[in-house]
Amino acid sequence: MPMTTEQKIQSFRQTFDKLRAEIGKVMVGHHEIVDGTLTAIFASGHVLLEGVPGLGKTLLVRTLSEVLDLSFNRIQFTPDLMPADILGTNLVMETPDGRREFQFQRGPIFAHIILADEINRATPKTQSAMLEAMQEKQVTAAGEIRKLAEPFFVLATQNPIDQEGTYPLPEAQLDRFFFKLLVGYPSAADLTEVINRTTEGHKAQLEKVLDGAGLIELQKLVREVPVASHVKDYAVRLVMATHPKTETAAPVASQYLRFGSSPRGAQTIILGAKVRALTQGRFNVSFDDLQAVALGALRHRLILNFEAEAEGITTDMIIAKILEGVPRNADAVKA
Amino acid sequence: MSELQVIESALDQAARRRRMNRALYGLSRGALIGAGLIVLVVVLFKLTPIPLWTVSAAAIAGGVCAFAGFVAGGWRKPGQQEIARWIDERQQLKERLSTALEMSGGAGAADWKELLVHDAARHAEALKPAELFPLRFPKPARWALAALVLAAGLWFVPEYRTFAHVQQKKEEANVKEVGKELADLARKELVQRPAALPAAQKAMEQVTELGDTLAKQSLTKAEALRNLATATEKLVKQEKEAEQNPVPKPLERAAREPGNRASASTQALQKQLDALQKAMGDAAAKADQLDKLSDQMQKIQQQAASMAANNSKMSSSDREQLAESLANMARQAQEDGASLEGLEDAIAALKANNPEEFVKDIEAASHDLEKLRQMAKSMQSVKQQMAKIGKDLGEQLDKGQAQAAVQTLQKMVEQLEQGNVTKEQLEQIMKEVAKAVDPAKDYGKVAGHLQKAAQQCQGGDKPGAGQSLAEAKKELQKMLDQMADSESMEAMIDALARADMAIRSGKMWSECQGGKCASCNGLGCGKCKGRGWSHGGKPGGGVGTWADEYGWTYFSENQGEPVDNSDIQRPDMPGHGHTERPADLNPNLVPDKVKGQVSPGGSMPSITLKGVSIKGTSKVKFEDAATTAQADAQSALNQDKVPRAYQNAVRDYFDDLKK
Repeated sequence: MPMTTEQKIQSFRQTFDKLRAEIGKVMVGHHEIVDGTLTAIFASGHVLLEGVPGLGKTLLVRTLSEVLDLSFNRIQFTPDLMPADILGTNLVMETPDGRREFQFQRGPIFAHIILADEINRATPKTQSAMLEAMQEKQVTAAGEIRKLAEPFFVLATQNPIDQEGTYPLPEAQLDRFFFKLLVGYPSAADLTEVINRTTEGHKAQLEKVLDGAGLIELQKLVREVPVASHVKDYAVRLVMATHPKTETAAPVASQYLRFGSSPRGAQTIILGAKVRALTQGRFNVSFDDLQAVALGALRHRLILNFEAEAEGITTDMIIAKILEGVPRNADAVKA
Repeated sequence: MSELQVIESALDQAARRRRMNRALYGLSRGALIGAGLIVLVVVLFKLTPIPLWTVSAAAIAGGVCAFAGFVAGGWRKPGQQEIARWIDERQQLKERLSTALEMSGGAGAADWKELLVHDAARHAEALKPAELFPLRFPKPARWALAALVLAAGLWFVPEYRTFAHVQQKKEEANVKEVGKELADLARKELVQRPAALPAAQKAMEQVTELGDTLAKQSLTKAEALRNLATATEKLVKQEKEAEQNPVPKPLERAAREPGNRASASTQALQKQLDALQKAMGDAAAKADQLDKLSDQMQKIQQQAASMAANNSKMSSSDREQLAESLANMARQAQEDGASLEGLEDAIAALKANNPEEFVKDIEAASHDLEKLRQMAKSMQSVKQQMAKIGKDLGEQLDKGQAQAAVQTLQKMVEQLEQGNVTKEQLEQIMKEVAKAVDPAKDYGKVAGHLQKAAQQCQGGDKPGAGQSLAEAKKELQKMLDQMADSESMEAMIDALARADMAIRSGKMWSECQGGKCASCNGLGCGKCKGRGWSHGGKPGGGVGTWADEYGWTYFSENQGEPVDNSDIQRPDMPGHGHTERPADLNPNLVPDKVKGQVSPGGSMPSITLKGVSIKGTSKVKFEDAATTAQADAQSALNQDKVPRAYQNAVRDYFDDLKK
């Protein structure tokens, strides 16, 4: 008997909570990062995790691959990594009947979950090999298009320090990431817990919570969540406010931004808000949902100008100002 | 009720409450704006000379603002979607209501709609519009109230006005008052003495218009004076033009003599006499007895006054004696034809021993008696005037009694026109006319017409004689009209001069008149030229009050017999105005002698006033100060307050100031 929508929503919440709980067995703290990553996965998006080494970025992705019954590959990006090393290449192979022929040898990209570790260490050429895979979920090698398995996620990490010999991700590449999540330092309590867990021979037993088919079903459910027109309008106005030197631009955007968010920013905000509404047991998207996901969705889509960099202004500061300045109900009557 | 209806019902209720709430908010905001406006205007009114109506206008505007705010606030009915969004925001409903309302009407998955509406209805049921939109006056209302209280308080603060403004307002008010008086005077003149000639009529109307203009428009002192000067100039010009036809000397002389008016006729005087006789009744015959009665009445009045003052009760014998003398007096008054009802009442009050009532009744009787005496005097005066009127045409023309002459001529014309004139009568007319030819030489063409009439009478040409006499009469009437118009115009010029003096000196109209004419008591006579008030300030002795006296300037042949007053003893009295100054007089006021420039070699008294000198820049313009001083000086000169010896010097001095 097929589940009703209400049951599906109930199932979504349970699954989400269970995933969070399972990850929490390994990950200490970083609830926002965990929630953000899960949100991106349920919205079929890729995540860029940025943080100094040792904060558990790779651990998070590995744990995620363990709780999801999905194939997982890790690609360690280095300057000498070539596109073919990621996508795969044609090799001359001998068939059982003794003939020799070219056969495509699949690269590590062919998995459900890809951990692109230290993605900014690869050359732009190699980085761009990920573009098609991330957007179209397919690769083109030796003139042949090959579909990637669904669901497909790229969870990339990058280090904000030690910039020597790195290649900053091009804007087009950044735009393909659903969220950019900043992994911060743990609190004292969290750090104590980390020590306890990692130095006393304790090994958490993780349980598979969701397989690929189930995840796809839940991804479909997310897309069905209704959004009122004025809520959509708010998302649009938020994104429009980031476009510098335009009529809709927020003053702070005009002052400190060179380029604003692409339409993908608005898509991301709405999808992320839908996931958040479901996780909170609601059937509709609220302004709060939009505001909650706006930071992760927009921070990597805004390009600062020289003035902002000189003054140490970050995109997070600008987004916070825009969230403050853009009214929620533009046409609502004030009391 | 479906879940959607539950939502809509809750939203409708909330919308109504919100509309009312917004109306009250609008009212408060409007009231605040209005109150602010009122405070602003009141402050402006207190600080600057804006007119009072602006405060009333601000109060009305304030009310309009409050009403407009109420209407504007409650005008628009909020839609369901709008109110849903507002409640979502206010109640932290996470856009449940607005999304459910929007999705329920649109295309979409039915199961999602159902979930949305169910969830929203659950929250809508818990809504309480009364708590959500409490009907109370918001903060602006309190501020508006505070502003109104402030405005009310400010209203009691005295206005700040500069001296110049106060002066200007006084001047404007004075100009209006003077204009009104001038217009009234001119109108009265027009009614009492309508002008015969169109030019005079027009001149009087112009003065009336000028008076109205001054009274209705807010003119400055300078503008008013300019208008008056222009009008005076025009009138003087017209009068000069009119003077090209000079009034005959006898007429002019008659006009200046008291009790000998050119316009007086035997018939008019007879009418006046009849009216007085009718009013006085039998007392008219015994007018001389009234003086005796008056003396007796004075004595009784004194007794009554002393009785009332001492508040003492008279003995019965005294009362009887007083009552008896009162009864005698009443009897005598009755015999003389004077009806003094107060006397009977006084006797009754005396018998009742009521001194207050007695005094009142005596005063009433005295008043009646005084009236009778005045009437008797008037009657005597009228009789004297009648006696003065010439017996025949020649005598009338000689005395300048033109009106009487006109009537005599009219009689003659009527006689001649009837045709049944006997030879003797015709001869008598001829003699009278011939006798009048010589005195008529001062009357221009009249003499010619009379001479012609006399010749025609001699020749037996009755119609011709009648015609010539009618011509003579017409000519005389024309002269009378001309003189009357001239007098009217002169009166208007005097009125304009009076208005000029009042405005220039900043005094009231009544303060600038010389007082009622002593001869006619303001009724108008030859002495005052019909104005009712005399020239030259208040009547009384002293230097510079000769303007009232015309007698010494024109010699009258009918001065009457000389009066021998050698037997009158007048005791020597100390001179007035030369008393010694007190010893403790302020040393600053002690007069000293300086050499005067008015009469070289002579000295004139001066007083040096010592005090704190005023330093700094004057706030009054020199021209204004000079004009005011000149107006005051002119006023003093007009009222003969300045001795004649110094008048020219004063005039020159202030004329030089203007230069």
